[in-house]
Amino acid sequence: MKQHIKNRIYHVEVLPPKQDTEKLDDDLAVFVTKFNRIMERGFCACITDNAMGNLAFQGTEMIEELNIQAKPDLVMIHLNTFHSKDNLDGILESCRKIGIRQLLVVTGDGSDRLPKLKPADIGAKGVESVSSVELLRYIIGRWPGEFELGVAFNPYEPEEHEFAKFERKLAAGATFVITQPVIERHPLVDKLHALHPEVPMIVEAWMSKKLDLLSEAVGYDIPQCAPYDPIANLKTLHRNYIDCGVYLSIIGFKTQFDLLKTTWETGAIS
Amino acid sequence: MKIVVCIKQVPGTNDAKIDPETKRIIREGIKAVMNPFDTYALEEAIRIKEKVGGEVIVLTMGPQRAELILREALSVGADRGVLLSDRAFGGSDTWATSYALSKAIEKIGSVDLVICGKQAIDGDTAQVGPGIAAHLGWLQATYVMAISDIGNGRLTTKRMHEDGWDRCTLVLPAVLTVVKDINQPRIPTLKGRLAAQNVEIPLWTAMDIGAELDKIGLNGSPTRVVKTNPPAGRSKTTLRIEGTPTECVRKLVHELRLRSFI
Repeated sequence: MKQHIKNRIYHVEVLPPKQDTEKLDDDLAVFVTKFNRIMERGFCACITDNAMGNLAFQGTEMIEELNIQAKPDLVMIHLNTFHSKDNLDGILESCRKIGIRQLLVVTGDGSDRLPKLKPADIGAKGVESVSSVELLRYIIGRWPGEFELGVAFNPYEPEEHEFAKFERKLAAGATFVITQPVIERHPLVDKLHALHPEVPMIVEAWMSKKLDLLSEAVGYDIPQCAPYDPIANLKTLHRNYIDCGVYLSIIGFKTQFDLLKTTWETGAIS
Repeated sequence: MKIVVCIKQVPGTNDAKIDPETKRIIREGIKAVMNPFDTYALEEAIRIKEKVGGEVIVLTMGPQRAELILREALSVGADRGVLLSDRAFGGSDTWATSYALSKAIEKIGSVDLVICGKQAIDGDTAQVGPGIAAHLGWLQATYVMAISDIGNGRLTTKRMHEDGWDRCTLVLPAVLTVVKDINQPRIPTLKGRLAAQNVEIPLWTAMDIGAELDKIGLNGSPTRVVKTNPPAGRSKTTLRIEGTPTECVRKLVHELRLRSFI
């Protein structure tokens, strides 16, 4: 992950098609186009895992079934706790087969259709349910050294709780962190970075102009600074977090993607 | 074992509108999904096939668009699908619908078991499964939460009641309706979805299944809907947790985790 940051490689979120799509072929084609553009630019494609609890296809099966030419070093798979044990192991085996090492391990969002890992499934003891901490321990125990495991940090959660949770994630084996979206700067993100400068940090940039969607996503009211300019915010993040990577969520591939050619350089040095 | 699973396409939204004239749900322009209870029926059928062998056939009645849920079923392991579609079926109530489905089951032939979800989330009647059993003259077990001891032309069900459950052994052929406690349905894979895209799905009309025209559609439907109102939207739910303080805390934490609040 340090190499990604050093080489100014953006982490670009890309969502696989939803399971209930009525235009599967079209949606698959859109995914492939976006994925290929990310690869061509030398960025890292970060594939979500049933984002917001919506059933979608898995990143690994997309790569395998569609024969996508993925550069494994430039792919990150999100992995949450809403899987059956067999399905979880299948995804991890596919990652190994493809050569994907980077995983973002999160507790995730569930739904009625998604199974939830049970502590007994992954040998977790003393807990009532599986969180990202138990999932990290399981992956490291089962495949030691195979994966580079990142975790999430949510500065909108109560501080004490979130920092304590982050320490548990580190103790469980996390080696990098991706924050929830930050608008310009967040004191708790600053604090985390100061506390753990050794942990590579990637700051999430919200690329939609709709901040109300962000409030919905994080579950807390984000102050609306109207009009919100995602590209300006991205440049500000580069200035404020000069030694951090950036994760781009909900990026517009038609209007914003090509602008990324200059944002990091100009943002960081201006 | 030859198993037929009856599935239904329902609106995938809480915002469905009712046509004031026909008193029916306006389905045009709304996202449609497989009735959630039917996914449990399908999963159970596939598990039985994986255990004892046989064939799983999915059957639905509806417009051409309902083919989508048949393909979804094929993508998780059903062997083939049949779409019942004909203008003559339009306006069928649960009795006429179960008649049409039973005629299709007879046409499929040599069926050992029919499994349905306990009810559809749009009509909420829970009548079609029992209606099929009545038309076929087969045994039935409703609200099934577990199936065991399959063999020798029999199976045993665990049926859910308000105050508990019972065990019930049925001689096959039989019709079951299942509740969601029975299993955790598998998620379709992309490989399965792609393979299911090109499978040919036969369309059967009323004539194909030998249905008598006075037993289907409005003519065959004794139900008259006098008035229909959509339920008030529910934005909040209340979960009552009972037990000792320790148990309550444990359950609360579990529920919060399931909802990703902690």
